[in-house]
Amino acid sequence: MLNVFSKLTKGQFFSFKLLIIGIVVLILLFAPSYLSRYYLYLVTLILVTVLFATSLNIPLGYGGLLVLHQATFYGVGAYAFAIFLKQGTLPILPASLIAPLIAAAFACFIGWICVRLRGLYFSFLTLAMGQLVWAIIYRWYNFTGGDDGIHAIPVPDFLRSGSSVFYTTLIVVLISLLLIYIIVKSPYGLTLQAVRDNPQRCESVGINIRNHRLIAFVMGGFFAGVAGVLFVLLERSVAPPMLFWTKSVEVLIMVLLGGMFTFLGPAFGAVVVIGMMTFFGIFTEYWLLFLGSIKILLLLFLPQGVLGYIEEMMAKSAKKIEKGEERGYAQG
Amino acid sequence: MDFLTLLPDFSTMTSQVFIGLSRAMILFMVAVGLTVSIGVLRVINFANGTFYMLGAFTAWSIAMWVGGTAGFWVALLVAPLVVSVLGLVVEAGLLRRLYNRPRLLQLLLTYAVVLLFNDITKIIWGVDFKTIEVPLKGFVTLFSNVSLPSYNLILLASGPLVAFGLWFFTNHTMVGKITRATATDREMVDALGINSKKIFAIVFMLSCYLAGLGGALIAPTTNIVVGMGITILVNAVLVVVVGGLGNIWGTFLASIIFGVGESFGLLIAPRFAIVFPFAIATVLLILRPTGIMKSVW
Amino acid sequence: MKRNRRMKSILVLSLIFIIAFTLVGGCAKPTAPAPSPAPAPEKSDGPAQEIRFDRNIKIGIVDTYTGPPTVYTYDARDGFTLAAKEINAEGIHGAKIEFVTRDEEFKPDKALSWARELITREGVDVLCGFMSSASALAVSEYVKDEKVPTVVWMAQTEKITGEAGHRYIFHVIPNTRMSGRAAARYLADLPYTRFALVGSDFEFGHAIINTFWKTMTELNPKAEKVVETFWPVGEPDFTPYISAIRAAKPEVVVAAPGGADQIPLTKAIGAAKLAEEMVVYLHIGTDHAGLVALGQEAPEGMYGSSPYHYYYPDTPENKAFVEKFHAEYGRYPNFAGFNGYITAHLIAEAYRKAGSLDTEAFIDAFEGLSINSPVGQVTMREYDHQLIQPFFIGKTVKDPGKDYLIATDIVMISGEDAIPPLEEIKKIRGE
Repeated sequence: MLNVFSKLTKGQFFSFKLLIIGIVVLILLFAPSYLSRYYLYLVTLILVTVLFATSLNIPLGYGGLLVLHQATFYGVGAYAFAIFLKQGTLPILPASLIAPLIAAAFACFIGWICVRLRGLYFSFLTLAMGQLVWAIIYRWYNFTGGDDGIHAIPVPDFLRSGSSVFYTTLIVVLISLLLIYIIVKSPYGLTLQAVRDNPQRCESVGINIRNHRLIAFVMGGFFAGVAGVLFVLLERSVAPPMLFWTKSVEVLIMVLLGGMFTFLGPAFGAVVVIGMMTFFGIFTEYWLLFLGSIKILLLLFLPQGVLGYIEEMMAKSAKKIEKGEERGYAQG
Repeated sequence: MDFLTLLPDFSTMTSQVFIGLSRAMILFMVAVGLTVSIGVLRVINFANGTFYMLGAFTAWSIAMWVGGTAGFWVALLVAPLVVSVLGLVVEAGLLRRLYNRPRLLQLLLTYAVVLLFNDITKIIWGVDFKTIEVPLKGFVTLFSNVSLPSYNLILLASGPLVAFGLWFFTNHTMVGKITRATATDREMVDALGINSKKIFAIVFMLSCYLAGLGGALIAPTTNIVVGMGITILVNAVLVVVVGGLGNIWGTFLASIIFGVGESFGLLIAPRFAIVFPFAIATVLLILRPTGIMKSVW
Repeated sequence: MKRNRRMKSILVLSLIFIIAFTLVGGCAKPTAPAPSPAPAPEKSDGPAQEIRFDRNIKIGIVDTYTGPPTVYTYDARDGFTLAAKEINAEGIHGAKIEFVTRDEEFKPDKALSWARELITREGVDVLCGFMSSASALAVSEYVKDEKVPTVVWMAQTEKITGEAGHRYIFHVIPNTRMSGRAAARYLADLPYTRFALVGSDFEFGHAIINTFWKTMTELNPKAEKVVETFWPVGEPDFTPYISAIRAAKPEVVVAAPGGADQIPLTKAIGAAKLAEEMVVYLHIGTDHAGLVALGQEAPEGMYGSSPYHYYYPDTPENKAFVEKFHAEYGRYPNFAGFNGYITAHLIAEAYRKAGSLDTEAFIDAFEGLSINSPVGQVTMREYDHQLIQPFFIGKTVKDPGKDYLIATDIVMISGEDAIPPLEEIKKIRGE
């Protein structure tokens, strides 16, 4: 089906991708003028989730760290922002900057402990500590509202309309994605990928593996926190389920469905999963059945993710990647 | 706080220990199936929670069908077998394709199975609350101030029995030894002319059997509902990891640490009781980064 | 290998199709679709009825249809459906009720998302549902901005009509304040003074116990609290709590278990034969959903409450409702079924009274509205939008004709007695 690309060179690929991204951004720029209110909201929610999923991909796809509980930082960012606004301790601008930093600080602490562990033990320690944070937020009534959550978060009037939230989200998400792109293509990002692919060799040439991984983990936490802040802007409400472990698994599925070795894969996965949830949620009560089956099919047949698959097809037909050079999976 | 006044009290301490132990055994019954699948198949099987749930539901159906107190005992024998057959279907249809895949993919696929079976269970069994009559009524007084429901004694006894049985199976039976060999080096086992595919299927059935057994055993004490596996699953996974991946006795020990730790935690800070299992897991993983007992990996 | 690749291509293409379909839908419908027009007038139209609605009334239901609470939410939905059938047979100024349901999985963010979808895409006139208190509170703030009337029929938190109350939110279930007060009124008449207070350790359990104790000490200053303990939600083993209660030697145990703890707690009480030693009162303890699940295992002589029992009161109105429900679904309604049923009738009656599809007119009509429900008259209190409805407390007993226990000696606490006085709500709202 993708024979069209067979005659493209690598450089042409890149410009083709840029073209597609440009068109998508352009379409998005005018979204409020042609989308109905609900779909504008849905697109905003997808944008927030896109950033959330991409934030996970920094440690997961580029760092090879199987982070099982990314929702912790999403939730901490959202809760920090919500508490600042609700208690009126900080105006909205500094609050929106400090909340992701708090998420990053959590990531720094959790990461510092976790990166000492290897493989699955690392993964499950992130799970345990994430659940610890969840349990505390779930129980600490006076500070976090406990199981009822925090609602009626006061957001300034100019940020209350659908289109202003949309544009704020769009701008923040685009800037964040650009930053993440710059980071993963920087010398640091390339070293990180080298650490992922061959930690032993990297260590022998004097690269501090732990530090590289910790930085990736913290940056993932920071951008998840930014997504959390955007979520609060959009919904003006937070509750504990947003940092329960099932939320993290949902995002992991997004990343994997989209393709974790492509930059835009997680974003694509977020669009797919939220789109499907809405689609099936409206049409059937047994939407879990459909969603579950589709996820199983996709994961089984497209383990490299949808975007990963498309890229692979392009690359294969352009004969740019020789056999055996395919990038490996996250080490476990 | 009042725990200082409680500490010297011998009977409170012992009763707390026993309460913790029965919690621990409930946890262990869920975790033991996971240990087997992690230890041999090297698959982190989130669907284990689903098989646990299915064990409880199947036990309910059988107990209702047979009726009376005898119904439960029949269910306890039959339900795990039904679940293990179901496990075989899932293994042949899905899991078999996963053994050589990346770990993350296995994890997410088994999670998708959880979602799928939640809806299937809802379609088959409906949404009404269900419960099985406790087969053993009455209380047993252990010390002056400590009395336990008789049924809890069965739970307390079943944990060590299952652990011992598994240990005996893997160390002293032919199939068990082959299983261990398969876990260590699958290719070598294949080269010796043993069908490792078959071994894997047997092991997966065993892990489903154990999950189903756990579900059936716990069914009389709880409310059998869709999603009952989700809450306890995280704790069970953490127990397995903390105990040392695939180590039966490690899982056993970790269950006891979790259960007793939580019941003492309840004395110290009841409001934050749900925090304790995760705090314990965090501390233990920091102290012993590869689990408290030797992992089979 | 080739087949495999084709399979992959098909998967990718169908995915892209689904996404495109979902997203393009947004451009195709720039405004929310209006509900379908009302059917043509029938000739039997009374001459007095001059107002005619030009379209049907659309109602959106957001509730938990995944997991344990479904035993209640299905009943609520079915009760609502049944009432909608009755209403549509009659019509509301020529219009009918249409409704759609959405599953929020007990997650507030999902609830909000679906509430938005129903209001801005489906264009519903009224929103209903909400099992989870957190979801109800989150959506409450949203509909306040959207100005869409919303009826909460399952979440019991007192905040909905208390501090978080506003013009667009209505509560059709005895809230935690009402339940606590009703229990205190009932138990204060008994000649006992030593109380044990226990509950599930979350907002709900604490709220009921606190109100109960506050009211109890007002009604009976001699009341003494001998032990107070809360267990984590989902507690697997109630033995320690039963032992602690026994050790304190109370005369009355008041328990407020959350939904998930109800069954195991009742079992533990039965196993320990606690109800034979002292008065044990369980919030929602005699509701049909729990008792039918426990079968013969439920303890006899245990006190419990429910906003509704299908066998009480023994009036023609109630019998008619129960018979219809049973004929339609083959089971008896639990209290959620009753809530769903009266919610639909309340909404329909408010529209009839308003004579207009306008939201503000609907709310004005809804405030202070009284209807005859299967348990007698219920009234929507004008000030805080809390339904004044009776609360029933009884004692479990074996019934020879049934394989489960029922409540007997049921006492009705009238809605006026149970509902907190206006001054209290005004004080909470700082007015």
